[in-house]
Amino acid sequence: MIGSLKVAACRPIGKTEGVGMSEIRALIVDDSSVMRKIVERSLRQAGLDALEVLEAATGVEGLELLKAKPVDLILSDINMPAMDGLEFLRQIRAQNLADGVPVVMITTESSEEHVKEAIQAGARGYIRKPFTAEQVKERVLPLVQRA
Amino acid sequence: MAVSLRESVERISDPRNLDDSVEEVFRLMLGIECRREPDRLTFEHESVTAVVGFGGVLSGACVFRSGACAARKIAAQMTGMEFETIDDTVKDGIGEICNMLAGAWKGTVPELAANCGLSVPAVITGRDYKLHVQAPEFQLHHNYRFAEETFEVTIICDGLQ
Repeated sequence: MIGSLKVAACRPIGKTEGVGMSEIRALIVDDSSVMRKIVERSLRQAGLDALEVLEAATGVEGLELLKAKPVDLILSDINMPAMDGLEFLRQIRAQNLADGVPVVMITTESSEEHVKEAIQAGARGYIRKPFTAEQVKERVLPLVQRA
Repeated sequence: MAVSLRESVERISDPRNLDDSVEEVFRLMLGIECRREPDRLTFEHESVTAVVGFGGVLSGACVFRSGACAARKIAAQMTGMEFETIDDTVKDGIGEICNMLAGAWKGTVPELAANCGLSVPAVITGRDYKLHVQAPEFQLHHNYRFAEETFEVTIICDGLQ
């Protein structure tokens, strides 16, 4: 796990048996619908059973969803058409759309420079594709449990 | 200072990097063990090709190609769904496999990982088409097998700074 800067806000909705925490609403941003499904499945395998997922195919769509609904967790790809994941992250922070909400980048870009850039833009976690459900569990659960 | 990879061609073009990348992507994302296939592959029927471009210190492309049946099986393994045709979900899945292969391959050389970008995937389907590349700097072309299916992955480098 990388970075640990803010405590995320989490709305109490109900209880999930998986990891003993309130239900969470997650926004998954990826231009691949298949990857969005894989990320969702990995979150459920990690123990987030009581999970509501919002999906966006672009950063622009993601921003619109954040304006409409608060979320507890954001997972975003970096390489996307129209608006890449880093710009999406900067826009979230600039527009105060998800204050304190942890953002985890899930991407094929794995260099130290990319990780640093993501942290500087406000990411709290970074997962390289290909990934396992165990890696998602290790890097995402502590962020939502802390909240 | 400008980054140059000209001195690292042998390391970048090491065929093991491609094998390791393919094995990693298929094992982690699909739970499939695949192995190099020595025989030349032919795709007599419909095939699916995904291309992800490289830009920056290395220009070129990563190309994934398989028959329609292998593509459907790969997409099924990724999604848990069954597919009878090469629909948008199958194309999306194969594009993402190619994206991960390209990312994993460039990630094997740190200077390349940091200074080479990836395009979004393009996916082509059809019959009787060939991919032509003119005089690349180097090219890696490997065939692989999983279960009864085969696919090929090609790394084309047509420019290196």
